[in-house]
Amino acid sequence: TCITYSWFCFTVLQSKILLTRPIVASPITFDRLTLTRQIHTPPDTDAPSKAASLHWISERVVSVILLGLFPAAYVYPGPVVDYSLALILTLHGHWGLYQVITDYVHGEASVIVAKGFLHVLSAMTFTGLCYFNYTNVGICKAVAMLWSL
Amino acid sequence: MVPMATTAKEEMFQFWEKNTKLNRPMSPHVSVYKWSLPMMMSITHRGTGVAMSLGISCFSLAALVLPEQFPYYLELVKSLSLGPVLIYSAKFALAFPLSYHTWNGIRHLVWDMGKGFKMLQVYQSGVLVLALTLLSSAGLAAM
Repeated sequence: TCITYSWFCFTVLQSKILLTRPIVASPITFDRLTLTRQIHTPPDTDAPSKAASLHWISERVVSVILLGLFPAAYVYPGPVVDYSLALILTLHGHWGLYQVITDYVHGEASVIVAKGFLHVLSAMTFTGLCYFNYTNVGICKAVAMLWSL
Repeated sequence: MVPMATTAKEEMFQFWEKNTKLNRPMSPHVSVYKWSLPMMMSITHRGTGVAMSLGISCFSLAALVLPEQFPYYLELVKSLSLGPVLIYSAKFALAFPLSYHTWNGIRHLVWDMGKGFKMLQVYQSGVLVLALTLLSSAGLAAM
């Protein structure tokens, strides 16, 4: 049973990683070195792109940066934090809303319209925040002033 | 080994095309499944995120469109002479979604590291997030 189970896991795992369907049954290998070599071998040239994976990582990196910007805004308010907030807030929000659209909007036309609208909204948001930072008191100062009410 | 003919994306697209065409009724899900704390916290995380994003976009639009500087509008609000309870409530209402989303966001990042998936841990971290949210919202509103 052990060997059958590991053969099953191995072929399923291999299919998932290399995106291939076995047309012949794979040889039963319980040799650990061979198994490791076959699972961890770098994918071939027509393997799927890493775009989705890199995007996921970027989302987490941006989230962590945003977390750091809050204490930074409190301790070092000023244009550096203001413009960083404008960028990171817009980016984090844009990517978040993009996932919401992906989850709830279906149908080719609706998706294109919704994503188009989102891109316009995010572009406008970033522009407005930068404009506010440049011509007005800036995000950090605005929050401080609002909170002093 | 034969390379697959369709990608995941293509298969997803085909799935939705077929389903829309057949006009199948959707199985009841939110209307029949028993609500749990993790479910409610998850949708609240999304809700607070969307609300804040739209709020920031509104602020941004106002910044582009309104004629006067920020202190002018702040003075307008000050001239309304709103009571301290109302001001505290308004600050709490602003601080709450930010606190919740931040603390629950950290909980998400911990999950992304692969930790805290046992059911008990999910409930414990959930309750911790709720407690921290209430405390930090109350604290921020008092500042």
